[in-house]
Amino acid sequence: MIQRIKDIYAYRDMIFSLVRRELRGRYKGSVLGFLWTYINPLCQVIVYSAVFSVIFKVQIDKFYLYLIIGMMPWTFFNTSVQGGTTCIRAQADMVKKIFFPREVIPIAYVTSAFVNMLLSFIIVFLAVLVSGYGFNLQVLLFLPLIMIIEYLLALGIAFIVSSITVYFRDLEQIVGVIMMAWIYITPIMYNMEYVPEQYRPLIVLNPMTPIVEVYHQILYYRMVPTTNYLLLAGGVSLMIFIVGFIVFGRLDRNFAEEM
Amino acid sequence: MENFRDADNREIVIEVKDVKKKFRSYQDKASSLKERFVNPSRGKHEDVMILRGISFQVARGEAVGIIGRNGCGKSTTLKLLTRILYPNEGHINMKGRVSSLIELGAGFHPDMTGRENIYTNASIFGITRKEVDRRLNDIIRFSELEEYIDNPVRTYSSGMYMRLAFAVAINVDADILLIDEILAVGDSGFQKKCFEKLKEIKASGTTIVIVSHSMDQMYRICDRLIWIENGLIRKEGVPKFIGEEYLMEMESGRIDRIEVENQQVKEELEQQLQEEATSESSEETVALIRRQKEIAHNETLKEVCKFYQPGARRGGRGGAKFTFVTLENSDGEETNVIKTGEYCRIRLGYKIEEKLPSVRFSLGITRDDGVYTYGTYLEYKESFKDSGEVILSFDNALLRGKYVLDLWLETLDGEALDSVYSLMPIIVKTDNDEERGFCTMAHKWTCV
Repeated sequence: MIQRIKDIYAYRDMIFSLVRRELRGRYKGSVLGFLWTYINPLCQVIVYSAVFSVIFKVQIDKFYLYLIIGMMPWTFFNTSVQGGTTCIRAQADMVKKIFFPREVIPIAYVTSAFVNMLLSFIIVFLAVLVSGYGFNLQVLLFLPLIMIIEYLLALGIAFIVSSITVYFRDLEQIVGVIMMAWIYITPIMYNMEYVPEQYRPLIVLNPMTPIVEVYHQILYYRMVPTTNYLLLAGGVSLMIFIVGFIVFGRLDRNFAEEM
Repeated sequence: MENFRDADNREIVIEVKDVKKKFRSYQDKASSLKERFVNPSRGKHEDVMILRGISFQVARGEAVGIIGRNGCGKSTTLKLLTRILYPNEGHINMKGRVSSLIELGAGFHPDMTGRENIYTNASIFGITRKEVDRRLNDIIRFSELEEYIDNPVRTYSSGMYMRLAFAVAINVDADILLIDEILAVGDSGFQKKCFEKLKEIKASGTTIVIVSHSMDQMYRICDRLIWIENGLIRKEGVPKFIGEEYLMEMESGRIDRIEVENQQVKEELEQQLQEEATSESSEETVALIRRQKEIAHNETLKEVCKFYQPGARRGGRGGAKFTFVTLENSDGEETNVIKTGEYCRIRLGYKIEEKLPSVRFSLGITRDDGVYTYGTYLEYKESFKDSGEVILSFDNALLRGKYVLDLWLETLDGEALDSVYSLMPIIVKTDNDEERGFCTMAHKWTCV
């Protein structure tokens, strides 16, 4: 275990260059290029806020702000998990032909999605300014913490799904279905008050719930995140991260043969 | 492997011990859920043993070549050393930093410049930015791409691409370098440069393990060859000896294979002809019959020469032919193995079936790698018999190796009446080890 971590550290430059390649490669050749990082989630937010505030009449103040604060972290999580399923297979050529700690691939993939989220937070901050809500600067210090917690969760799940997909390709489709449903059990388009009392514990079982709630608390409610949410988010994420790391370490030896 | 040493007190840096590796071979691999449910039998597999237990050691600074026919397990061995694959049994210990020249240009991004790709590619070998900074100039100089280094890689020709990739790979500081069949990069000038660089790396004390089919390269760089066959080490030792034995066996394997293929072709033609007989397409039938005749004609050589080798071809317009061909050693025995310096005779029986003013008997000897080695001819102008024998006597000056015999019976204007190619293999053995090359020369060394 210690050895693996050392190996990964030795290959840190590979992670950086893969991230750089991923970020630069993604929009290369498209006319709007890097702007797509913003356009895509922005359109999503516009559509959802139109549907939910006009048709469903959701009674949340400044709904677009509430939505955008939850949507950006969700997009990161969704990309990491969904894209995570195929990230090893996508690099089959490399995996089959050269040695490097295999963890590098999901780490690089999730990290590039993470960088995209950081960039998209420019929109979030703009939205906060536009709304006139303003920032609580002290509370803002919790923002990096919750981002790191979410990063651990996303990476942990990416470890699991990427390694299993190598052996079992259906997982990619299964994950697609799960993610489609998952967004609806996460308080992004509604808040917890809409959820009937008896179902609330269920929603909280979802590890993304406390994370999204903490984002809301920091940026929407401008309050110090509640300790139980922080502990829950941090504990569960760390656990999943460790499990993911171990599962990946068990499965990665036969990657080259299975692809 | 704490300071493990071999008999010569050299430090062992690679130790492979009883390594076994099997692959699962699926008839038809079911990797999606539906397939597994719908047709469970598709998941059935057989284990194929690729390596059945091999052990060897490599000392620091040694260069070892692995040879063997396709599928023998040599690339698998290299992949195990690279840690792309892991053994099912046994273990492998490696000491020091391992670098592999197996996949060139891994991670190259076409839209990024040559310079940027150097960093990406090097990082995949586990090299830090700082190290690349230090060697950047070496790498660019080696690739000879100074003018293009800031252009996107997609604008490169494939040769330029490979040159850049090779330059990065070979400028990596490693204690152990693993190479798989890649010294075929770029033009011959660049290849030579790579080879020189490799020798330089070896001289600096880097341990090298190389897989290649180019015996020539193997001889020049390796201190030892390991011959793997059917997942086991068949033999190991001095490159020249192991290599020659290996090539000899490959050659006899090739000849057996030709025999098998000839037989198959004959049967197929037979069958096609039978099918054609019922249909009308006469053109094809003619072609088939011609091909069949050709094969039958080639096979008449079996009666001409005792040491006939499959793959021998016979041509010529007819009117005269060879009836027998024998090679005799100095004791007058028929053979196909002769020694350097031995007095030998080649006897050619012939029969002339039409009126000819003159004939020419030509004979050629070609080394098995296609190099024309020796030729001579005899012209017969008048008073020759319609059937008889011509004898070529000679002192054999050829050095060790395998040669084949070609013969022609021609008119003086060079029209071939009977021509025979690759009739028989001639194996030449040389007693001394001091002379190398094609042929022996009267020579003398003096000390002054």
